[in-house]
Amino acid sequence: MTPVAPSMSRRQMLRLSGTGFGMLALADLLTGAESADDRARNPLAVRPPHHPARAKRCIFLYMPGGPSQLDLFDPKPRLARDNGKPLPFEKPKLERTKTGNLFASPWKFAKHGQCGTEMSELLPHLSMRVDDLCVIRSMVADNINHTGAALQMNTGEQAFSRPSLGAWLLYGLGSENQNLPGFVVVSPVPVFQGAPLWGNSFLPSAYQGTWVRDLNNPIANLRGPSADAGRQRAKLDVLRQLNELHKQRRVIDSQLEARIASFELAFRMQAEAPEAFDLGRESALTRKLYGLDDKHTATFGRQCLLARRLVERGVRFVQVYDAPANNVWDHHGNIRKLLPQQCAAVDRPIAGLLQDLKSRGLLDDTLVVWGSEFGRTPTAEGANGREHHPFGFTMWLAGGGVKGGLVHGATDEFGWHAVTDKVHVHDLHATILHLMGLDHTRLTYTYAGRKYRLTDVSGEVVTPILA
Amino acid sequence: MRKILPLFVACGLVPSARAADPAEFFEKSVRPLLVEHCLECHGGKKAGKEKVKGGLRLTSRGELLQGGDSGPAIEPGKPEKSPLVQAVAYKGDLRMPPKGKLSESQVQVLTRWVREGAVWPESGTATVVSGKTFRVTEAQRRHWAYQPVKAVTPPAVRNTAWPRTDIDRFILAGLEAKGLQPTGPADRRTLVRRVTYNLTGLPPTAEELDSALNDPSPDWFARVVDRLLASPAYGEHLGRYWLDVARYTDYYQPNPREHGEAKLFEFFESYRYRDWVVDALNRDVPFDQFITHQIAGDLLPSPKGEPIYPEGLVATGFLVLGSWDPHDADKDKIVSDIVDDQVDNIGKAFLGLTLGCARCHHHKFDPISQEDYYGLAGMFYSTKVLAGLGAKGGSIILQRVPLVPQAQVQRRQQQLRELAALTNRERRLAAQVTGLLATPAAHPAVLAGVAEATRLRDQEVALRRNLVPDPPLALAVQEGGTVGGRFPAVQDVPLHIRGSYAHLGPVVPRRLPGFLSGGRRPRIGQGSGRLELARWVAASDNPLTARVIVNRIWQHHFGEGIVRTANNFGLLGDAPSHPELLDWLAARFVADGWALKKLHRLVLLSAAFQQASTASPEALARDPDNRWFGRMNARRLPAEAIRDAMLVAAGRLDRRLGGPANADLAGPRRSLYVQTTRWDRSNFSSLFDAANPEASTEKRTVSTVAPQALFLLNHPFTQAQAKHLGTRLRAVPGSDTDRIRQAYLWLFGRPPEEVEIRLGQDYLGRAARNGMDTPWADYAHLLLCSNEFVYLD
Repeated sequence: MTPVAPSMSRRQMLRLSGTGFGMLALADLLTGAESADDRARNPLAVRPPHHPARAKRCIFLYMPGGPSQLDLFDPKPRLARDNGKPLPFEKPKLERTKTGNLFASPWKFAKHGQCGTEMSELLPHLSMRVDDLCVIRSMVADNINHTGAALQMNTGEQAFSRPSLGAWLLYGLGSENQNLPGFVVVSPVPVFQGAPLWGNSFLPSAYQGTWVRDLNNPIANLRGPSADAGRQRAKLDVLRQLNELHKQRRVIDSQLEARIASFELAFRMQAEAPEAFDLGRESALTRKLYGLDDKHTATFGRQCLLARRLVERGVRFVQVYDAPANNVWDHHGNIRKLLPQQCAAVDRPIAGLLQDLKSRGLLDDTLVVWGSEFGRTPTAEGANGREHHPFGFTMWLAGGGVKGGLVHGATDEFGWHAVTDKVHVHDLHATILHLMGLDHTRLTYTYAGRKYRLTDVSGEVVTPILA
Repeated sequence: MRKILPLFVACGLVPSARAADPAEFFEKSVRPLLVEHCLECHGGKKAGKEKVKGGLRLTSRGELLQGGDSGPAIEPGKPEKSPLVQAVAYKGDLRMPPKGKLSESQVQVLTRWVREGAVWPESGTATVVSGKTFRVTEAQRRHWAYQPVKAVTPPAVRNTAWPRTDIDRFILAGLEAKGLQPTGPADRRTLVRRVTYNLTGLPPTAEELDSALNDPSPDWFARVVDRLLASPAYGEHLGRYWLDVARYTDYYQPNPREHGEAKLFEFFESYRYRDWVVDALNRDVPFDQFITHQIAGDLLPSPKGEPIYPEGLVATGFLVLGSWDPHDADKDKIVSDIVDDQVDNIGKAFLGLTLGCARCHHHKFDPISQEDYYGLAGMFYSTKVLAGLGAKGGSIILQRVPLVPQAQVQRRQQQLRELAALTNRERRLAAQVTGLLATPAAHPAVLAGVAEATRLRDQEVALRRNLVPDPPLALAVQEGGTVGGRFPAVQDVPLHIRGSYAHLGPVVPRRLPGFLSGGRRPRIGQGSGRLELARWVAASDNPLTARVIVNRIWQHHFGEGIVRTANNFGLLGDAPSHPELLDWLAARFVADGWALKKLHRLVLLSAAFQQASTASPEALARDPDNRWFGRMNARRLPAEAIRDAMLVAAGRLDRRLGGPANADLAGPRRSLYVQTTRWDRSNFSSLFDAANPEASTEKRTVSTVAPQALFLLNHPFTQAQAKHLGTRLRAVPGSDTDRIRQAYLWLFGRPPEEVEIRLGQDYLGRAARNGMDTPWADYAHLLLCSNEFVYLD
């Protein structure tokens, strides 16, 4: 087989290719009905949403470790006034280390854009895109440790196994590109909580995230030692004939057909996926936009650029972990040096991603989410750090279906507790599903005799932020 | 909060201290505030549909005093002791209203109101809030799974020629009632391949197949079954399915040895539990004992009369291998998560009950109250899994129990101390002698020193020779609570309101679930109560236990259970398609001494099991899901069997049993011994739908996705096995046709058809003409990728 030319018509042709899943997926779409058998035949076929979707795809920019909202998005003049004083109210019972005294942000904030949202000087590029951002300053989570909190942010549950957000999205909506995984996780190092963050749990394994760690070898087993496509084609041709003979006398033909098709799809993936992952096909200008020309921004820039290429090709959910090392946003110490460094590594790539999505018309129906498992305390840990803080922190959304230039919710004057319009992790999940066209109370899966959902028994859509 | 409960009784008697015009203050300031900020969630009608959050209504003084889930909301006169005031002041953990704090003046209003006696002019008599009482409904009482197992006579059938065993009469009666007929029997080759995979997870060898095909005895199939049940591979394969139910995992971290802390919390020794399961199944340990070992093996006496019972200890690994976060900073939460995992998994694995659902409230569907849950939970709060809670911010410390008598452990410690003292003396002596060497006059002292050093050395060598070996350790439980936790000893625990340790209710005595145990109340003496629990679970008159396991075995052989929710026999579970058959099997199983091998034999020798997997179009249309078992369900091999079968085809499978897991997929050992990890699911077993080790898996899903094909096409493991198989085939004497024939016998257990031979010959011919260097490896490879290789008829 010849290398694939990067043209849309080629991709469309492959997607609708009559030899494999494409046609089956199309048939599902046309009939609109679905049985367990259909799901078994192609678990990733496109499924209709519960209501018209505002976003067709989602990019979740995940900053492991817990970035300091007080130094980036949530300015607190009171901290500057009371810097070094003890916290003037009762400390929470749950603390990891002894709570220190109030710690004013070493960085300046200024209003930006038409909306006038205040942003820290550490994020100059993102500040220029602030009219696209919906900043939620009143996030709350329930766990004070990375593992439990990261699990909650990704699965809704802190300790026990549950399907991840991406797995639910894929289960609910399928994937628009049958030649690529529908849920891709991009992280250069293993995120230490690992697969449970993008796991399928009790959903079928087809819905788990595909972890891409090496952009040069993005999908497992994509290229075998035998790079000779002709030789593989010859094998597959005989395999197909043998499988057809085997199928003739058997009643589980849809399963057997699905497996025949999966080999054809695998063959096509080998041709299409390298193209999707090939950042070399981007113009010099685009590469510069994402900061690929600078060694400080190149790693995260490549991740962001890949995310755009994937969603552009119909991948449903891409989760990008800022993980040149483990928990790089976990600034217990040396925050004055480390936070600016980490901001500099992601600021240009993220701003570049937003601008690129916008100029390609993709931002209208692509939801971008930025955040982490929690934020950091308004009090100091040691002389130059901040502790974990799930009681009031910041995340932002942009694109498909959310109001840009908005600040939603607030923490108290010390930045300790979210006090106005609190948004719990369950509420965020309900809102993401809502934007993607899914009702979080209806997206359920029956396991061990009980219906489960991403938001357990809670979650309310945060309607004030909907565009 | 729990302190407030007794105070409530007192405060009802205290007359409220009244300030000037309290009624007006209430009407002007307090009532509007409650209406505006509180009643949306705390104002629901008692019998109406509106939600009443936290079980608390704020529409009368009586209700405030009665309180909600966490007890009274106010203590008149004492704002500092009134949860309502604390909550609106955003002090402590409970903060109300949740959407944002009231203004300071509003908080002051409520504080003053309570301080002044919480006067509510219209209040009159307090209305009692109930609606939380637990009541077993008639539907629950009548639910099939809670009825005793009935003595059933196999039904009469019209087609008397078909049934071979009593099982068949149940199946046939079901089919006939629907106007259906069973499918004809499968041929011998198909049957042998099916039953060999079902019982061992491996394909039959050519010799095994031959001897079965040529066995003239009418009992030929029983002989095959007996041979397979006696194979150690039986325990490995069936054991793997029990491990699915037991949420078994090996290590958690990718490179545990690299993490210094990992030695505290890693499941390094979990393989001992795995090996115990395999061995217990191979020895056909009666299933009731299999259960008691896993719940209370540490409390069982050694059958050999030894001071400790290592197998009993190892079996309790079932209770240890939970999926909870060892690093959670909230140590109390870890302990309650461990207990929840244990109660939940005992429910699912042995009883087919979702006991865990009653952690936060009465079970919404099954007759299990929250008190029932905490009656059980108390047993596990009284059970030790952790050696300690660990440092603040660090991980917990798992308890590792030596598998040798305590005396031996102590003896070793004593020896180690002696050894340390000896080496210390040697070191000191060496230093002395070295010092002396510098002064030539001290010659005799040097000689004496050397003599002494030799003596010490000899002592050390002797001691080392007799050193008691490092004791093997197991992840096992012991009696007693969690040291440093809220419940540090054997004790009853309070009900956790909404499942939270921060909101405790009344203490619940350790006991069996009330309705389910039929009011059985074994005396729980000094111990945790686990032994009493284990005996009740494994009792022959427990209506659930035997039904649950026979259903699992049925599901194993037919691909679907009689009850299709193997972990949930409760009201939300699936109803049995053949309730009488289920009862008949359960009764027979118990009468047979809970012997699993006999149960397998019973099921496998039925005509029902031996049906072909084909079906008439009419049967397919009338029973598409095969609910009536009128044919065998064709199935894809499980992940482990796919890999093992490739190793067999390559002639490389290493059949050694047991030992620590190995992360190396390329190795030749059975897949059972390839490391399972909760951390990385991008691995082979997860790709091919093996059980998720994070939670009890009642039945594996089967997915068909392109990454599986990519694995089979391109992964070095598949390619290596293809190469080995190619080499084996090339070495087969005779023509290419003979070699193709051999390949089919090895891989599919049947000779090829003409057209298949021709396709093979054409492929090999073309490959040779194209100059491919390894046509046989390529041919072997495509056969390993084929549907027939991974599907059972």
